[in-house]
Amino acid sequence: MLNFILLYLDPGTGSLIVQALIAGFLAIVFYFKMAKNAVTDWFAGLLGRKKSEDELTKDETAQ
Amino acid sequence: MKPLNSSFRDPSGYVFRQGDDILRTVNHSYQTDYDSLMPKLYPALTEAGLLIPHIEIPFDEVANPDQYKLIQPELIPFISYPYEWSFSQYKDAALTTLAIQRKALQQGMTLKDASAYNIQFHKGKAVFIDTLSFTKYIEGSPWVAYGQFCRHFLAPLALMSYHDPRMSAMMRDYIDGIPLDLASRLLPFKSRFRVPLLLHIHVHAGSQKRHADSEKSLAKTKPKISRAAMMGLIDSLENGIKKLRLKTNKTEWGRYYEETILSSDYLQKKQKLVSDFIKNTDAKLVWDLGANDGTFSRLTAKKAYTIAFDIDHLAVEYNYLAIKEKGEKNMLPLLLDLTNPSPSIGWNNEERDSVFQRTHPDLVLALALVHHLAISNNIPLTKLAAFFAQLTSELVIEFVPKSDPRVRTLLATREDIFPDYTQAGFEAAFSDYFTIQRHEQVEGTERILYLMKT
Repeated sequence: MLNFILLYLDPGTGSLIVQALIAGFLAIVFYFKMAKNAVTDWFAGLLGRKKSEDELTKDETAQ
Repeated sequence: MKPLNSSFRDPSGYVFRQGDDILRTVNHSYQTDYDSLMPKLYPALTEAGLLIPHIEIPFDEVANPDQYKLIQPELIPFISYPYEWSFSQYKDAALTTLAIQRKALQQGMTLKDASAYNIQFHKGKAVFIDTLSFTKYIEGSPWVAYGQFCRHFLAPLALMSYHDPRMSAMMRDYIDGIPLDLASRLLPFKSRFRVPLLLHIHVHAGSQKRHADSEKSLAKTKPKISRAAMMGLIDSLENGIKKLRLKTNKTEWGRYYEETILSSDYLQKKQKLVSDFIKNTDAKLVWDLGANDGTFSRLTAKKAYTIAFDIDHLAVEYNYLAIKEKGEKNMLPLLLDLTNPSPSIGWNNEERDSVFQRTHPDLVLALALVHHLAISNNIPLTKLAAFFAQLTSELVIEFVPKSDPRVRTLLATREDIFPDYTQAGFEAAFSDYFTIQRHEQVEGTERILYLMKT
């Protein structure tokens, strides 16, 4: 997992570790947003409205 | 081929100039990544206007055994740097970088660097220019360019938003972005109540300080971040940046509007004269110095790509927002203090060019500018004439005499030490370098507009 160390720019250890520290929080926020979008889109679908514009992020969860 | 002075860090390839073209080599060491980029991600990004399009061109493979491809990106008429951007330009540059990272992740790739210098303004929009910044995304690995993104984009934008847009000038001192410990100290305490700023600047700065002893820390923690967390990271940075606003009070914004209205008759007459003066020009690149909101830049932009420089951050901001709204493609507003222009910075003082080392204009507009330089900044007319002659072969310049109300205001609080600042003195100074082709008084004023050529 440490193959990023071979990169030509020093990513900064603190900058890598802080991502791991806040990852849990960010993932929860992300899933919450996805769930919210899914509900909004379901209702929008019922009313025949345009779906939320978060297609890019939604595709991600499908992978 | 000699690489450009800015092109030495990335072993994947380098950039060089060939005639008027800019070419980029792609080395065999980047082959796998280049081949992953081109089939899907490249068309998605170029169609969305996020990445500069390029064509592959033939090269001598025997003479260049390390080289995999030679590419020719679409030419950007004028290179600009972050400390020359207004707040909204800077914000769009940041959001463009994040949009690219999100699309890259979707296609199993990631940005290996997120430098603000990888963004340029082209056809009125921010565009990513470093085709070799993409690498394979390994599930679970953190974003290696995260620290760089926060230093290059989030920190300057937060400082501009919380304090003053002029904070972007710090990017001139810190070529690899504003150190996060400094940004964290400079930002007000209330910035900690915004989650993206709390996490990506304050906590991030703390983590950098704690983990300065890199090998030990990394071996201990082996940071892992899931795909969802990675998407959450991009989301969080994007939300944080979108919510940053420029603090402006209405009177400041209203000033431009008001000035335009008050003197609309003068502006119209001057517009007519300038249009007439430039009708025969075959200039390809125009610099409008002291362009304010770009009223006159729009005249030259009909014929040639025009850079609308101004010292006033709000004028540049206002102009950029107008360009975005109208979808104008042929001009670029930038910040420039002519009395202290962007210097060359970086390694050996040659990594980022000074403003005058970049593409020179074929035509310069200097309208309602000379009195600011000559009187407010004590620059002798002879020095001004030499400066313009070095810069351009064609000049449209306005002389604003001492009897003009604006000059009277400038002189009201100081001693008049400018005996040569007269129409005759102006013409004598400029005639050393230029031939005056035309001169006309702007009707209803004592200002005189000149067309000069070297």
